[in-house]
Amino acid sequence: MSVVNHTPLTKTTHWKVVIPFYGYGAIALLVSTVLLLLSANNLLNHYFSPGNLAITHLMALGWGTMMILGASHQLIPVLIESELYSIKLAMVTFLLAGIGIPLLVVGFYEFNMGAPAKWGGRLIVLSVIVYLYNLYKSIKNSQKENVHVLFLFTATAWLLVTSALGLMLVYNFSFPLFQKNSVDYLPLHAHVGIVGWFLLTIIGVGSKLIPMFLISKYFNSNLLWRIYGLINTGLILFVLLFLYSESLLYLFIPVVCIFSGIVLFIIYCYKSYKQRIKLKVDEPMKISLVAILLNLFPVLFLIIIIVHATFTNTVSFSVVMGYGFVIFFGWITAIIFGMTFKTLPFIVWNKVFQYKNQITVTINPKDLYSKLIYKWMIFFYWTGFSIFLIGLLMNNVLLISYGAGLLVIAALFYGWNIIRLILFKAPLDEYNNQ
Amino acid sequence: MNIITNNNAMCSFAIDVLRSVEDPEIGLNIIDLGLVYQIDFDEESKKIFCTMTLTTQFCPMGESILNTVKLSLEKFFSDFTAEVYLTFEPSWNSDRISEMGRIFLNRK
Repeated sequence: MSVVNHTPLTKTTHWKVVIPFYGYGAIALLVSTVLLLLSANNLLNHYFSPGNLAITHLMALGWGTMMILGASHQLIPVLIESELYSIKLAMVTFLLAGIGIPLLVVGFYEFNMGAPAKWGGRLIVLSVIVYLYNLYKSIKNSQKENVHVLFLFTATAWLLVTSALGLMLVYNFSFPLFQKNSVDYLPLHAHVGIVGWFLLTIIGVGSKLIPMFLISKYFNSNLLWRIYGLINTGLILFVLLFLYSESLLYLFIPVVCIFSGIVLFIIYCYKSYKQRIKLKVDEPMKISLVAILLNLFPVLFLIIIIVHATFTNTVSFSVVMGYGFVIFFGWITAIIFGMTFKTLPFIVWNKVFQYKNQITVTINPKDLYSKLIYKWMIFFYWTGFSIFLIGLLMNNVLLISYGAGLLVIAALFYGWNIIRLILFKAPLDEYNNQ
Repeated sequence: MNIITNNNAMCSFAIDVLRSVEDPEIGLNIIDLGLVYQIDFDEESKKIFCTMTLTTQFCPMGESILNTVKLSLEKFFSDFTAEVYLTFEPSWNSDRISEMGRIFLNRK
């Protein structure tokens, strides 16, 4: 072995950029669960209700997207093996989205598609454009292309399509931009966001992080390329069929494509798991892996919805609500719960201990959050999630309320641990003199 | 463990010193993890040259680990100053983990 090419260390993205996204996400989750509890009586009326619209967008944007944006500003350097292009643009992304999301959500909650909702939508679209530009310049500067980066870039492009379409749907209430009502385009808007943004991002980033955190040497670029092709083909087919086909049965073609992509990703994660070096899997990784499996639930719900709609020409609201609930409060929330406690402790650890002699530092990143609070959070989360879902499917308002109440508690425990993490300071006696 | 050196005796001390430097995520020391490639000593200029890698090209703990390697070597070899170089050629893979390291990870 010969050692050549001394490489300068790539700088991490500054914690000041990343932490606000995590804090924002924690607040959005808490508000979403509280709104869910307050709306429990009306959830089964129709999925297109002010409360449901507000909760869905707060979960999708305030919770899911803000957490992903925060984590990705930290992870872009990992994926591209180079520094983030601009810290300032990252801050602009946060500010635009951070102001835009509550405006949009308040507009939906009051069912007022006037100025607040329109400004909210505009700011969110601008925020996505700024993020996409920052990502593009970072990739261009690094000149290292890989499949993970392509997943993230394509996902962000789909996010731009989703948010631009969403803004047009808001406008469509006051100016007829489309031939049909905005409600008719909701499945298109929702699925471009769920599959294009969330699914592609989670697979692109997860395929890098899951083997890394499991200390597994498994990597299969060909398999990831196949997943990328299947999901994007499925999504493009879905968009075309949605716009130009009357038959619901054809929708099975994109569903099969996307489902195959999900199954292949589960196989990818399973192989990473089997080839791991570290036998014991920690709690955040366990819930992340369960979340990957949970990805199969929405597909199951979707098949039921399509079959039901094809043969009865009606839509079961409770199944549609269950579908959305499993996606946002199940799959996305579970993976964020897991990945938060794999990424944020490192960010905080670096903030506190980076310039101290590590030998004298006896605290590891995993020691920065409370395991006890985490365990209770997971307990209330799974219990609340299961009870709420059963309540939805049985049309039982009491169970829905209990489930929502437990989810509020889970969100409080999550927020408590996040605050503890963010505010963590090195013990004075031990480290101040290093 | 396969570390290149120009001074076997001093290198064995350096290896013992660096066994106290952990990768905080994995909880395993950088020697058994196989991160250290080369440790050379220049007794005339009183310098130690340590060339090592990280588990990924962008390791969030990288700066902290490199800093600790330098401080640890300089603390033990008090007459020397240490220069720590980072390389990714060859890049790290889990085959570089020592037998002791594997036993440790399987127990954890």
